[in-house]
Amino acid sequence: MSVQVAQSASGVVDAYRLHPARASFDELLDADGVRPHQAALAATIEAMGTAGLLAARAETRTFVADEGVTYGSTAARTSRRWAIDPLPVLVEAGEWTRLARGLAQRADLLDRVFVDLYGDRLLLRRRVLPAAAVLGHPGFLRPADGPVPGDSRRLLLVAADLGRDAAGTWRVISDRTADPAGAGFAMVTRRIVSRVMAGLHRSSDLARLRGFFQTVTAALMDAAPGSVETPRVVVLSPGSASDIGFDTSFLATMLGFDVVEADDLVTSRGRPWLRAGDRLEPVDVVLRRVEAAMSDPLEFRGNSEIGLPGLIEAARNGHVGIANPVGAGVLDNPALIAHLDGVAEALLGETLLLRSPQTWWCGEPAGLSHVRANLARLVLKPIDRDSGGMRYGWQLNAAERDELAARIAAEPWAWCGQEPLELSTAPVVTGTGLEPRRFVLRGFGVASGAGFQFLPGGLGRVAGSTREFSVSHRAGTLAKDVWVPSAALADDLAPARPRLAVVAAAHPVRVTPRVARTLLAIGRHAERAESTARLLKVADDLAEDHSSRPGTPGAAAMDVVNGAVARITGIERRYAEAPVEYLTRVALDAAAPGGVRFNARVLVDRAQRVRDLMSVDTWSVLGRLERTLATAPPPDQPLLPLLENVLESLLAWAGILAQSMVRDSSWAFLDAGGRLERAQHTVKLLTATAEPAPVAAELTSEAVLRASESIITHRRRAASGTGPAQAGESALTLLLLEEANPRSVAHQLVALAADLRLVGDEPLAAEAERVRLRLETDADLPVATRLTTLAGDLRRLDGSIAERHFARQATRHTAETDWDLGGAR
Amino acid sequence: MTGRFDKRRYQVHHVTRYSYDDDVEAVYNRGFLRPRDTETQLVLDSEVVVDPEPDSVTEHLDYFGNHSTYLETRSLYRTLEVSCRSTVEVDRPEPDLAALDATSVGDAARELAVDADPVLHADFTLPSPLVSRSPEVARYAAGILSPERPLGEALADLYRRIHADFAYQHGATSVRTTLEDLLRLRRGVCQDFAHLAVGCLRWAGLPARYVSGYLETQPPPGREKLQGADASHAWLAVLTPSQGWIDLDPTNDQVADSRYIVTAWGRDFTDVSPLRGIVYTEAKHSDLSVAVDVLPLP
Repeated sequence: MSVQVAQSASGVVDAYRLHPARASFDELLDADGVRPHQAALAATIEAMGTAGLLAARAETRTFVADEGVTYGSTAARTSRRWAIDPLPVLVEAGEWTRLARGLAQRADLLDRVFVDLYGDRLLLRRRVLPAAAVLGHPGFLRPADGPVPGDSRRLLLVAADLGRDAAGTWRVISDRTADPAGAGFAMVTRRIVSRVMAGLHRSSDLARLRGFFQTVTAALMDAAPGSVETPRVVVLSPGSASDIGFDTSFLATMLGFDVVEADDLVTSRGRPWLRAGDRLEPVDVVLRRVEAAMSDPLEFRGNSEIGLPGLIEAARNGHVGIANPVGAGVLDNPALIAHLDGVAEALLGETLLLRSPQTWWCGEPAGLSHVRANLARLVLKPIDRDSGGMRYGWQLNAAERDELAARIAAEPWAWCGQEPLELSTAPVVTGTGLEPRRFVLRGFGVASGAGFQFLPGGLGRVAGSTREFSVSHRAGTLAKDVWVPSAALADDLAPARPRLAVVAAAHPVRVTPRVARTLLAIGRHAERAESTARLLKVADDLAEDHSSRPGTPGAAAMDVVNGAVARITGIERRYAEAPVEYLTRVALDAAAPGGVRFNARVLVDRAQRVRDLMSVDTWSVLGRLERTLATAPPPDQPLLPLLENVLESLLAWAGILAQSMVRDSSWAFLDAGGRLERAQHTVKLLTATAEPAPVAAELTSEAVLRASESIITHRRRAASGTGPAQAGESALTLLLLEEANPRSVAHQLVALAADLRLVGDEPLAAEAERVRLRLETDADLPVATRLTTLAGDLRRLDGSIAERHFARQATRHTAETDWDLGGAR
Repeated sequence: MTGRFDKRRYQVHHVTRYSYDDDVEAVYNRGFLRPRDTETQLVLDSEVVVDPEPDSVTEHLDYFGNHSTYLETRSLYRTLEVSCRSTVEVDRPEPDLAALDATSVGDAARELAVDADPVLHADFTLPSPLVSRSPEVARYAAGILSPERPLGEALADLYRRIHADFAYQHGATSVRTTLEDLLRLRRGVCQDFAHLAVGCLRWAGLPARYVSGYLETQPPPGREKLQGADASHAWLAVLTPSQGWIDLDPTNDQVADSRYIVTAWGRDFTDVSPLRGIVYTEAKHSDLSVAVDVLPLP
């Protein structure tokens, strides 16, 4: 493909060429025009034109919404949609090969530094690395020190943030070994961009990302201590407080491992175990997404609820592998960058293939005076990134500069100055055409054999506007898919032996109490949203027909059904509130527990907490459900279409459950939640409508049958004489006893018993069956008595499931010998 | 009567007991219970006994060379008792503070920066979790450890001044008390005084470590010594160019002698907390009692 093609058509690329914000090095264009390896991309851009590009951008947003890709913490309410620019950044094959070689050398070097720092510390004792730069770093964790059996100290995962200098040479801005997160985001970004730019993607022979994840799986399994045949690896997540919950669960799914939280694990006999169902199963490797200093409250912060006491001791004794090993955070250290040449010379006898912008450590007099003299043009970095004090010298006013200089003078060993990196620009689709934005790349590596292997490409990110000269995690940042031709892959990067199948077969799926609880809640709230929506539909119908005719049997039935809505949802009708207004509120008020939207919200929230167990189709269905519930119909419009949309989404959800999930413990708890809820809802509905005024009885019972999807059966049977003519009598048979009716309580109990057997709880399954038998033996008793008894039975069943399957560990306390016990004097 | 720097033998018995008003399901403990060997101290034997019997007991030498014990107890209980009985021989020579006057505080700091092991030097001169660097500490230290001052005189003045300036009072401070708070309160316990001295020495560029252990106490004249009446104690040690580590006790206004038994040392209390635990229980109340006996052996 020639450069001329790119210059025809829409002129989008020409406009980009003239954009004043392009950096010295632009990913798409050089001084002569389109870079040769970008010709296909440029041609595609030209052919798409502004309209096509905007359509592509809109499409990426839809895909992101459908996949539910978010960044930020749901607990802290900082969660927002992941944002992707549809245009990939292409890296030329030869360039990638060189870059990957440099990254691998760096990873190997960091691995050796890590081993030395938690071992003999010769780098410090021989003053190759200044001791204060390491020992003064909060990531240097003394409890992680000392010999460990095997090579479980090894760095398994690395990441580095890269950018180009003005000449286009790649530089490492910082290392990310504490928690090399983001590979999941890189993978999902690829999935979406490859669909949006399907034509270009098809015609480009790209290195696939999948093999990298297979290598990670293999590396993690190899990290298991001893000679376990099929080690169990878990991904330890901090839960909904995490910014990278999506990345974690997506990664776990790619790798084939379970996501767990602290409550899912216990330490016993010096090693961690998974609380799987009613037994403990050994955990061999922990992929740690919990910050090291929070990972074990016994060794570090005693108040950490997200860590596991005893984890460090287990690792110390070689009873568990941790990736990355605790203490790796000390390597994320600009002071190390400042001395890396000497370290490479000392440990590898090599010069660095991949360099960083020049960096000065202020703990040395020469470094300090240089940084002082150049404060206004350097990037000032504390050695500990998490202390959050990074500053761009040129953005500071005189007073701020003085304050920073004083801070540096007070603790010089805690600071570095780094030459700013210009960064390249890459084109980004905006409403006004392509815009050049600063581009950074996070590369991901994994230990493989004696060395490291890198994800071909990585997670690209561009700044939120043309005026920003750095790329942070701030809102507005866009992800970029990074394309590397398959030719760049050396043969030795062939995917490692896939071990996934073995894992699945070796470990039968048993869920932990936390997961069981969450799954049951998902099932319950989905069903609650559905049954409430059905009831509202019937109530809305009655209101449309009868609300203007007070005193009629229809109006009386309407009142009974509205009363049932209030009793079931707990949302009372306000004084003088029109029936339709009231029903709309029950459907759409996000703050009203019991309402449809509220339940949908809980459903989505709980589903996100066990994202790795949900089918990929879940998110588009739930996304649509939430969108439907977010917009109220205009005041004079009927509620019905909205309720039908809601039911359509919930039916699609039920379809996923029925058609796309393996019948294992996870499914059983989801199903059980729905079964319990449906049975309880039906009992409440029958109770709330049990004694209508005689004139309204038939209409009310018909409404109940309609809300329970059983009206047609009733009519057919009544017409053929095979069932009662009266709706009231029919409702009791169809909705309580008729096992063949999938809406009946009897049917729910049979299904619930099956679910309980699936999770291995025979006693409770038998109990569910006893409740069903009692339904039949009680059939001659008064209706009210039967319903009261049944409600009690269901409540007890519900309680027993919680007691037997959802047990949390007892509350955690920290005990420390008192401060002032001491003091012989 | 032997001199306080003469060789002595002790049996130390340290019992920590936690009681709860409800069942405890599990507890994980880490403690520095067994005394370490030092250049002036030999541990002849030591044994840790836990009741109820733990599911797991492991021990390793930590970063600073202390005996660090891990205990895991997963049987139901309401009272947990951890005790350690040790026999220790201490032979701590008297430091020659007058000889240290040959060098100044500043010269000593400069010399150590060059000659001391870089790891040790950085560990014990950088701030640590409970010994932060602050203008308040600097102001207090500057009056005592000025660079030109003879080293021996300055060190003696340090433990004397803290002893004179601060009242000994239980309950005035806690683990969360900062050195700045302490300097305002002017009262505290041995841990506080040790931390303050460490902070001052580090300000002057002298490596200083926190030492945790025991001190033999004398009963009031004419009275029997009561069982369990002793206590754990804390002091500090400073590195000097010519005499190595010298242990100072600002709480008792003296240099440490052979009655000081070392359990563990670290940058500050957080490195050597005697016994901490993560407890799983629904209990609302818990009681902690500690009994220490330091018995001189013939």
